[in-house]
Amino acid sequence: MRGILAVGAYAPKSRVSADAFAEAWGSFDAPGIETKAVPDADEDTLTIGIEAARRALEATGDEVAGTDIAHLSFATTTPPLAEEDLTARLGSFLEIPDDATRRTHTGSTCVGIDALVDALGTDGRALVIAADSPRGEPDDARENAAGAGGVAFLVGSDAPATVSERVDHASPRPGTRFRRAGRTTVEGLEVGTYDRAAYVEPVTAVVDAIESIDPKTDPDAVALQAPNGGLPYRATGPAGLDESAVAAVETVSELGDTGATSVPLSIARAFKTDAQRTLAIAWGSGGGTTALVLDGRAPVVADLESDGEIDYPAYLRRRGDVVGSKPDGGAAHVSVPTFRRSLPQRHRHVAGRCPDCASLAFPPEGACPTCGELIDFDPVTLPLNGEIRAVTTIGQGGAPPEFAEQQARQGEFGVAIVRFEAAGTVDLPMQVIDDADVGDSITAVPRMIYVEEGVPRYGLKALPS
Amino acid sequence: MRDAYIVGAGQSPYGSFPDETYRTLFRTAVEHAVDSVEDGIDLDEVDEAYVGTLGVGGRQLGLPGPAVTEHVGIHGVPVTRTENACAASGTAVRQAVMAVRAGMADVVLAGGVEVMTDLSGDAVRYWLGVSGETEWERLSGTTFAGVYAQMASAHMREYGTTKEHLSHVAVKNHDNGAKNPKAQLGFTCTLEDAVNAPTVAEPLTLYHCCPTTDGAAATLVVSEDVVEEYTDDPVSVAGVGAASDRVGLFQRDTYTAIPASQKAAEQAYEEAGVTPDDLDFAEVHDCFSIAELLAYEDLGFCEPGGSGPYVESGATRPDGELPVNTSGGLKSKGHPIGATGAGQIVEAFDQLTGRAGDRQLENPRLGLTHNVGGSGGAAVVHVLERTGVAR
Repeated sequence: MRGILAVGAYAPKSRVSADAFAEAWGSFDAPGIETKAVPDADEDTLTIGIEAARRALEATGDEVAGTDIAHLSFATTTPPLAEEDLTARLGSFLEIPDDATRRTHTGSTCVGIDALVDALGTDGRALVIAADSPRGEPDDARENAAGAGGVAFLVGSDAPATVSERVDHASPRPGTRFRRAGRTTVEGLEVGTYDRAAYVEPVTAVVDAIESIDPKTDPDAVALQAPNGGLPYRATGPAGLDESAVAAVETVSELGDTGATSVPLSIARAFKTDAQRTLAIAWGSGGGTTALVLDGRAPVVADLESDGEIDYPAYLRRRGDVVGSKPDGGAAHVSVPTFRRSLPQRHRHVAGRCPDCASLAFPPEGACPTCGELIDFDPVTLPLNGEIRAVTTIGQGGAPPEFAEQQARQGEFGVAIVRFEAAGTVDLPMQVIDDADVGDSITAVPRMIYVEEGVPRYGLKALPS
Repeated sequence: MRDAYIVGAGQSPYGSFPDETYRTLFRTAVEHAVDSVEDGIDLDEVDEAYVGTLGVGGRQLGLPGPAVTEHVGIHGVPVTRTENACAASGTAVRQAVMAVRAGMADVVLAGGVEVMTDLSGDAVRYWLGVSGETEWERLSGTTFAGVYAQMASAHMREYGTTKEHLSHVAVKNHDNGAKNPKAQLGFTCTLEDAVNAPTVAEPLTLYHCCPTTDGAAATLVVSEDVVEEYTDDPVSVAGVGAASDRVGLFQRDTYTAIPASQKAAEQAYEEAGVTPDDLDFAEVHDCFSIAELLAYEDLGFCEPGGSGPYVESGATRPDGELPVNTSGGLKSKGHPIGATGAGQIVEAFDQLTGRAGDRQLENPRLGLTHNVGGSGGAAVVHVLERTGVAR
């Protein structure tokens, strides 16, 4: 039966604590949240989504590759661009075939589950990527709650986790949580009772509509949309849900509000327990709910661990709220057509092998650097792991202006020459996340390189392993 | 093939001059070059000119050559702008030597100019990054400090070179530059100053990095057929070599040497019939302290990996066995990108003709200049000899 074959989950590594907020503002307006995940300055929902997708494929034991995917969905309330089909670039990173069906779902925090439902209705292997990073104004309650994360579901036949029932409910609830066109921040009207009812009533209505199970006693886990850590427990009573089944798989207390990824993250968490049945309830403001009854579990590769907390000023800098004006000097002129030509190299480190002398070259163009012959290279995709051969840390004033904003938001970064092996070796330059020395191993991870002429350019950076 | 001689060389002060333009700086350099010609010269006698400049700031990217030669009254002659990043005017001098040797010109003006300090910090950093490999190296986040710092990291790892070794270069060159009235940063520094200065790109601190500079330099290259009209004690271009290499550091065969420097030096030594042991001094391309250490190895002053102990021994100080960068080098004298190579020839000419003032070495007869473009995509080496002195 068609269902979920594998799940990947990823959250940015930094955390900021509710305490840090409270110290800065005198209060923290998101109940039930202790820490939130904070993306690096060069992470966004595209890069987070790719990280989740890689892990979903890894969860199959590398039996399924990007080239096997027939349907790709990207679901988020915070796409890096409001209009542009980002599934094309997402697919390029993952080597998804040109003729795969592509869908983008946005506009509401229930779209992660919407995308999953749609993929279950297609044929062939589908990859559903939900990634989100909500934002509000600095003193807004939704900003207090806002976190980040990504989950990818690999969908196909003969699946260990299947959906045995699905119910939907929608009724209008304007003005509860909304983001105006052209803005990057979500807002609300803080009409307390109305807001709570806007969440509790649709959740209750959709749970009431479930017929095949007893929502109170049957589910081992309840993956319930969590705009903050308190609201779900306002609904458990009226909807007749087991609070401890919600608490067992919640991620909001450590990652914050993860928008369209909220329910997918809890499903991933449920699959990592011995849950036999999971009830998933997604909610989108406006608003509607969808409930899924999931039987079974699928293998999960999750990377939700933190590598440390940042303080509140660092958090503000990281968000870009207090960073100065755009640098003056312009950026390296690599035209969009030239950049596009290099996307296999940028996204997947496709190198070349010389047909004459079998040496590797990167980028795979021009004369072979070893034998000097003007040949056409055979493509070779390099492994993700390499070794640093030369490295430096760029301090203030040492970065080209196109990296000035990143440096202002996140501080110093490393630049290295990394050696990769693939029946021979080849070196290429990479920016390094964190400190590293010559001889260290690294993994190539997707990150935003810079924005030129308003167009974000993505590539691979080196993360010390 | 005819021999080529340098009969005059001069430069503007190096520093920051908001009231000067690239044209007025070039004029100052040419005037000093003309003044330095023993028996005088008239600019009407110049047959041809080569002008090195990168064009930082985007000023006059097209036809900067005629823009400066016409400004000084050199009218109508063939003028070519040369560009090899920081080796632009070393290349210009080599072109002049080629034109003279080939018999196509008798008197050639070869120089360079750059204005770098009239821009915002961001704009300077933009322009400092254009001579690397733009698509890959630059988009990994580095300008030259970072690229040379990467070389330093590899050199330190392979040979145990230390931050102190790097700092000895800074101390020496500042000591020398303090005696150069044309130097931009004519102040001394201690080893501690250099080691503890703010980091620009680990392990390079502020004191391991050359400044941004306005300046110009000019040389007069003439043929053996006319040299006696200008001086009885000529400086000959005994040897010249040049080479290129891949522009991005990651594309090269090594990160702990600059192969283009090695090749250029081999050619120059062979043509001049000399070895490094014969040299009395050298002006090398110390855009970053690590670059001077690599130069010692690439030019054969010491064995590969031995440059740290070599500089620490004092061998390259003015009283050492092979004084390097008596001018103060790029570090203290300054580095106006297009002018630097010609400026090195100016110091060599001054040393060989007794014009080096407080920096004067005792009766030098053979000197070398070493000019590198970018992180090693181009290199030019000249060996100059005071021919009046017996070998």
